[in-house]
Amino acid sequence: MKSLYSEQHTWLHAVPAYAKLLFLALLGTGLFLTDQLMVLGASAMVCIAIFATLGWVTATAKPLLMGLVLACLLIAAFHLFMQHPVLAAITVLRLVSTTLMGFALTLTTRYSDLLHVFERVLSPLKSVGLPADRLALQLALMLRFTEHFFILWRRLDDAHRLRTGKPGGFKILAPLTIQMLVAARRVADTLHVRLRR
Amino acid sequence: MFDFAADAVASSFLMNTSSLSIALVSLFAALIAVFGMIPKIDLPLGVPITLQTLGVMLAGCMLGPKRALQALLLFLAAVALGLPLLSGGRGGLGVFFAPASGYLIGWPVGAFVTGWMMAMLPKQSPRSAAMSAFAASAIGGLLVVHVFGVVGLVNIANLSWDQAIMGTLVFVPGDLIKCGVCATVVHTVARGLPDWRFGG
Repeated sequence: MKSLYSEQHTWLHAVPAYAKLLFLALLGTGLFLTDQLMVLGASAMVCIAIFATLGWVTATAKPLLMGLVLACLLIAAFHLFMQHPVLAAITVLRLVSTTLMGFALTLTTRYSDLLHVFERVLSPLKSVGLPADRLALQLALMLRFTEHFFILWRRLDDAHRLRTGKPGGFKILAPLTIQMLVAARRVADTLHVRLRR
Repeated sequence: MFDFAADAVASSFLMNTSSLSIALVSLFAALIAVFGMIPKIDLPLGVPITLQTLGVMLAGCMLGPKRALQALLLFLAAVALGLPLLSGGRGGLGVFFAPASGYLIGWPVGAFVTGWMMAMLPKQSPRSAAMSAFAASAIGGLLVVHVFGVVGLVNIANLSWDQAIMGTLVFVPGDLIKCGVCATVVHTVARGLPDWRFGG
């Protein structure tokens, strides 16, 4: 499973993960607390400039950028149709700023660095019974089995097409779910033996 | 001697419960990711249905409230970490700032409510389990998720409450169909795995 992280190094890759996450959290919160067009406009221009400095790295985010552009066009069109141009501008500017910085963080931060920050942030929850250190194990299991279940779905779909000439559709969801539950029991046994959990 | 054996069985059960929880949460999160990769299924008259919200309903019905909540939180954590697991290959932190992010945040809550209702409703036979699954999915997987979606649209897209509600109603028929599909899957699982404890 390939993440959206880009191996091509930029200046933003050198910034620590926690600093980027903190900036994103403060930016998102700050922008929602203001309706000033000057502030939102300046923020959007700075965020676009930061994103642009990443250069060719942004090419991998093309599908995400298309989604952002489409969302902005739809929202702007809707508010303009309702004759609220200021609201259209406020909404689009907020969306552009926060979403572009979210993309920038994803493109320039390793999954393992983000995971480390998440585990640190969640560690106080250990005192109320939530084991944050299990996160890495569960993510690894999830990624390993995502590809396995996708291959399983393809096999079920191909078998259905061979038998009936039509795609499996909803009919193969139940066998896929049963296979997942059976696999979970086997994995649980393995974990119990390996990890004594 | 029997106390020692009982302790060993009890601690073994607890350890097994913990490993079963880890496995169920992780593998169900993987199943939800796969639902995002499966192409849209076309109903008669060419209406397309995506499957990821069906995964939210199934998680609640199959795993119960706590594990379903954890599975969806794990899935969203993986999305936040940059993995393109949402339908259409979307991922990363940017998706949590989009107008539809209310629906994403509603997924873990919807799964919890679905699981909580499934735990309370009758499940003695495959038919009763299926009917309970339909009711639980409609409340948790549909109503709760759409409430969060509407709140997201109001706060992020700056729609009025009426506009946001009208906008979300468009998706309700498709989601009702998913409730029916969830019930059918639960019925088949109840027959294929008679010892499975629906609702946790």
